[in-house]
Amino acid sequence: MNLQDMTIMGFSNLWHTRLRSTLTILGVVIGIGALTSMVSFGTGMQKNLTDAFTKNDLFTSMNVTPKDLNVDEMMSGDLSGIGKMLDEKPKPLTDSILEAIREMEGVQLAFPDESFAGKLQFNDNEVSKNMQPIPAAASAFYPYNDLLAGELYPHDSSQSVVIKWETLRDLGLIVEYPDLDYTLSRKDSLKGTRIVSPDSVIGRKITLITAELNIPSNPLGILMGDDFDPFEETSREYTICGITRPRDEFTFDRSRSALVIPPVTARKIPRLSFSSVWDILGEGKEEGTYSSIYVRVAEMEVLTPVREKIEAMGVGVFALADELDEIKRAFLIMDSLLGAIGTIALIIAALGIINTMLMSILERTREIGVMKAVGGSENEIKFIFFVEAACIGLVGAVFGLLLGWVVTRIANQVMNTMVLPDNQGPVDLFYFPLWLILGAIGFSVVVSLAAGLYPAIRAARIDPVRALRHD
Amino acid sequence: MSTILSIHNLSKIYHKGKVEIPAVKEVSFEVTQGSYLSIVGKSGSGKSTLLNLVGGLDRPTSGTIQFNGKELGKLNRYHLALHRRFGVGMIFQSFNLLPRRTALDNIILPLTFAGVPSRKRKQRATKLLEQVGLGGRTTHFPSELSGGEAQRVAIARALANEPKMILADEPTGNLDSSTANEIIQLLVSLNKDKGLTILMVTHDRETADAVSDSIITLKDGSII
Repeated sequence: MNLQDMTIMGFSNLWHTRLRSTLTILGVVIGIGALTSMVSFGTGMQKNLTDAFTKNDLFTSMNVTPKDLNVDEMMSGDLSGIGKMLDEKPKPLTDSILEAIREMEGVQLAFPDESFAGKLQFNDNEVSKNMQPIPAAASAFYPYNDLLAGELYPHDSSQSVVIKWETLRDLGLIVEYPDLDYTLSRKDSLKGTRIVSPDSVIGRKITLITAELNIPSNPLGILMGDDFDPFEETSREYTICGITRPRDEFTFDRSRSALVIPPVTARKIPRLSFSSVWDILGEGKEEGTYSSIYVRVAEMEVLTPVREKIEAMGVGVFALADELDEIKRAFLIMDSLLGAIGTIALIIAALGIINTMLMSILERTREIGVMKAVGGSENEIKFIFFVEAACIGLVGAVFGLLLGWVVTRIANQVMNTMVLPDNQGPVDLFYFPLWLILGAIGFSVVVSLAAGLYPAIRAARIDPVRALRHD
Repeated sequence: MSTILSIHNLSKIYHKGKVEIPAVKEVSFEVTQGSYLSIVGKSGSGKSTLLNLVGGLDRPTSGTIQFNGKELGKLNRYHLALHRRFGVGMIFQSFNLLPRRTALDNIILPLTFAGVPSRKRKQRATKLLEQVGLGGRTTHFPSELSGGEAQRVAIARALANEPKMILADEPTGNLDSSTANEIIQLLVSLNKDKGLTILMVTHDRETADAVSDSIITLKDGSII
């Protein structure tokens, strides 16, 4: 008897007991459905995180700080360590360090990571926000290489700015884009919010108001009740040249700034910042030093060598990519737990298979006896039952995957419409990679075969003399 | 004429708990090729057990069964299956057709186990059905056949792999006398025309006398 014949025989046996086969398969369907939807949630979360890391350049970027903050040492309660840290004078991030970093091989972009506060006036509204100077060279990189509309300014002394989508919303303008199905709520219309096209914003002027401390020429005048405003406001106009895409759940917003401005232009703006308060308090800050420098390297592989070179200069480096290994380990544990729950469902299904097949053998005892009487060997009879078991596993896995997919689609829809905030694009919470699909099918078939092992052996060992007398 | 089956000191003892029930006791006889041998005895005389031992459905407790030069007791399970497949063809009182398969598919079953290619199986099964006089019954299920027709299908199935010997266990036990006679005539013609060796178990001494070359009578497991 060849494989094909035994397979056909196994299939026809399943077909003859359609209802019972279907119910048994249904058990596997539910088991595989539970298993795959659970695991796909784990892989989905992991994929979203890894994608977000990649999309936000976190694998290729780091922040340089004046001094390496050794958290472990602080937590260990080693006071001498803290003392040593406090004693150590922080290495200032000077222009020469910035230059040195820029010269390093593999570094694509390095600029001071700073921001300043100000008020924005646009569309008859005013909001207080943070502005961030970003060099024009950043136009090649995320997110400035992928703006919703327009593009980053051409040079560092340009009089143009890029505004964030969220800032415009705060200013009462919802910029429409294809993925957004935004309907104005009552609250929106009361506030005067309007939906506008990106083109109606690009090219318009926006007013930036900054303040600096007004140091009085005659301090006594204040005491005498002179009319004195401690802040002096400066107002400047810039052209909006670009709008960023709206943030989603997985966007890591480094600066949380509302407006991106060319650095040379920014330097000319008189402004109040913490550093100038320090100036007033007389700490004295060297010209051209920064609190943080953002560094972007060409690819993941060079992050570590560049990082080591920068650390060798005596400054601190923080890279989020370092945290990824920890996160991955956490996900592995989560996946295993989710998978274990799904596996329990599959084990219950396997018991169903054993039960069904033992029933079927009992019912077909005489038939098995006839097969033996006409020359069927034990292995052939075993194989026929294995085919039945494998078939239950295979069909169960295919429909189980389908069930898992449908369930996760619905869950995703519910999560997106009811739980996650609706001012962002849809998020895929579940992910079915190829290994999960093939793995689920393989696992289901293996479990089913294991479940069919005992019944098949039992069928093969049936005594034909008794079986032929069996009713 | 050569000897096809040689049985020597054959015993079969069944165990029911600690009690030994001897079904066949020290039986010896020989069957020459092309003969028609009947085993006669009352129910419980051990004749069916003897047939099952020759058919390879059961193994002897002691003694030897030489079939076509092979010692059945020494064959492993696979080779014993091959003996059932190619060496002998069995017919039963209750026909033992598979109820969910058509007459044709019942005959195809042993051909499938023998690894005959699918198209040849169908050709051969159709031919066998015609040979037993049931040419028009290919798509009928066993439940749609009369007792005589069902036994004819069973005979066709027994002939499928061209066995050396037909083992018939009370082939007419479930049939009325005229149908029984037709079945016996079919067996006789297979014996006379095709030269097939036939070993038939029956309790009907009259029929046995009429058709057999020789008769063995069993009582309580022994030849008398």
